[in-house]
Amino acid sequence: MTEKRELIRNGKRANGREDDELRPIKITVGVLDKAQGSCLLEWGKNMVLAGVYGPREVFPKRDVDARKAILVARYVMAPFSGVEGHGRAGPNRRSREISKVAGHVFENVVLTEKFPKTMIEVQMEVLQSDGGTRIAAITAGVLALADAGIPMKDLPCGSGVGTIDEDNKRMVLDLDKYEDNLGKSDIPTILSPRTGEILLYQMDGYLTKEQLLEGLDKVQSKAVPRLREEMARALKEKYGGMAENGGVEQ
Amino acid sequence: MRRIVLPGEKVFDSPREVESCVKDANGTYATEVSVFYDDKVVPLKGVYVPHQGEGIIGIVSNLNFSGYVVDLNSPYPGRLSDQETMEDLQLGDVISVKVQVVTEVNECALIEPQRLSGGDILEVPAVKVPRIIGRNGSMLNTIKEFTGTDVLVGKNGRIYLRNGNVGLAAEAIMKICRESHTSGLTERVTAFLTQNR
Amino acid sequence: MILDEVKEKFIKGVMREGKRTDGRAFDEYRKISVDTEAFPNAEGGAWVKIGDTQVAAGIKIDLSTPFPDQPDEGMLSVNAEFSPLAHPDFYPGPPKPESIELARVVDRGIRSAESIDLKKLFVKENKVLGVFIDLYVLNHSGNLIDAAALAAMAALNKARLPKIEDDKIVYGEYTGQLPIARSVVTTTFEKIEGQIILDANDHEEVASEARFTLGTGDGDKFASAQKSGNGGFTRGEFEYLLDTALEKGRELRKLV
Repeated sequence: MTEKRELIRNGKRANGREDDELRPIKITVGVLDKAQGSCLLEWGKNMVLAGVYGPREVFPKRDVDARKAILVARYVMAPFSGVEGHGRAGPNRRSREISKVAGHVFENVVLTEKFPKTMIEVQMEVLQSDGGTRIAAITAGVLALADAGIPMKDLPCGSGVGTIDEDNKRMVLDLDKYEDNLGKSDIPTILSPRTGEILLYQMDGYLTKEQLLEGLDKVQSKAVPRLREEMARALKEKYGGMAENGGVEQ
Repeated sequence: MRRIVLPGEKVFDSPREVESCVKDANGTYATEVSVFYDDKVVPLKGVYVPHQGEGIIGIVSNLNFSGYVVDLNSPYPGRLSDQETMEDLQLGDVISVKVQVVTEVNECALIEPQRLSGGDILEVPAVKVPRIIGRNGSMLNTIKEFTGTDVLVGKNGRIYLRNGNVGLAAEAIMKICRESHTSGLTERVTAFLTQNR
Repeated sequence: MILDEVKEKFIKGVMREGKRTDGRAFDEYRKISVDTEAFPNAEGGAWVKIGDTQVAAGIKIDLSTPFPDQPDEGMLSVNAEFSPLAHPDFYPGPPKPESIELARVVDRGIRSAESIDLKKLFVKENKVLGVFIDLYVLNHSGNLIDAAALAAMAALNKARLPKIEDDKIVYGEYTGQLPIARSVVTTTFEKIEGQIILDANDHEEVASEARFTLGTGDGDKFASAQKSGNGGFTRGEFEYLLDTALEKGRELRKLV
């Protein structure tokens, strides 16, 4: 049960962040041994682990597509991930919907036509949740795909954006759990940084056209550059040394 | 200048046909975590997909009327016609083969099978293969010399080891894979082999 | 299905010429009908047709225990069934991601717009009224979300409050209307060959690379949004979607 507490104090966010400020983000790629690619992502108090298997043989067989790889995305929250009581293990309606839209994001960028008749699985486990887990999970999934060497057109990323003030006016970035639960609106948004296209957009709230555009622009101009930086840092941390010699001795 | 490029990162300001890249009207972009140098984009990881003419190491995984299905350390199996073999192969046989031709859906026909027996097999990411072989085969020769092992490296990341100190040869290869991104690797592998000889 | 591929090619070809296969304008809905008298046993109901697409909405109101974090508010639950009779590709079984998505998008619109005044559904301590909306897809000829959202809203606007006696519902007797604060509907866009259309039919949906659903409510506000499908939308396209959704939303809300 969420206790009622202030979201805005003296005109500022009660959690101390500026309106356009994201929580601290820490990304490590290649944390699992068996998976082809993996990523541990900590975003504020959220902690998500993503692993990629494939391209590999399709199961069940009847799902085979001779033109491209099929992409399977699975987002689940661990029963112990929230501050509330014991959750239910396994997928529920919310997590299945998120798995679906996460799959759309991955399908947009992965060059699935390069691996016909195979399956690529992106498994996302939310181990600790504090609001904005779908964005964190999809970001981790994107990085696990990159770590797996799966070819992609871009590294999508984004953030939540929404209103937490009583007047339902001020758009702030990256709502945490309390802001999400007690605030007025939240719009998880993921863009393709290269093309600027919207790849994920969901909304809770009641907002004007101007507010939606303002939110989108905030994600684009403030959240995406920060995420790009963190994602690049994580990938270069693992692969950076290879630049010296190309990883290859010719 | 060598630099690391990431998926979606621009490598050319104009659309060009480059391996491991995509293009649009405004430029050419990397699709994998790669090293960019000499106008080339070389991925640092990735699964093995067969290409014509490659010498690889397979494992017989199924038998049918016309021949054999061969596992290639890849999502795609190879087909080996029984016309190509003098002897009967068994499930689980390790063979060195050449890729004759690849279909649009990455399935391939294999030729020139040679059964390999009595040795050990090692699987590494296919992108590490050039590093294991080394410049003009130098790294591979060093390993063979120090361990007395016959080492057959398949393009698909399967390595067949027989005779001599197989364990040491395998350790040296794993070391190369782990440290493939560091410089001075040849010296360190040589030192490792000398110490553990 | 191999037929889908043939259809898809054809639709894309026509679309590239700036036309739709059925001759409609890009932002034109098919004929819409709303029948709110269809299910008299339910507290509220509606049978909506958009072209050949048919969706039924039924509302039942029941006594229930409130959520612990909202002890003084009534409950809302939206569920969608893709009946196997609605399309050759629909099979019985656990709900598919598409039906879950549909139900949740409709649910979010109603909830966000605070369409139902849930505070007025408080009965007494630990007892509130629950509003259960069931959406039945009866024929799938495309644009199920808009049809379902329209059906849900039409049913809500007609829904009656059952009489309560000795902590029990007396079904068939009513004390008044379900308190509805504002109407909310959705407009769903599909993107095919870079063109954006409204109210796609089922074949157009197969050819579609991306979808955007926008829920709009009284006062020209957005109550829900859901981007779906693998393709993306640019900021310019997004702005077009917002403007068009407001305009079409006003028209659709007149129907409920």
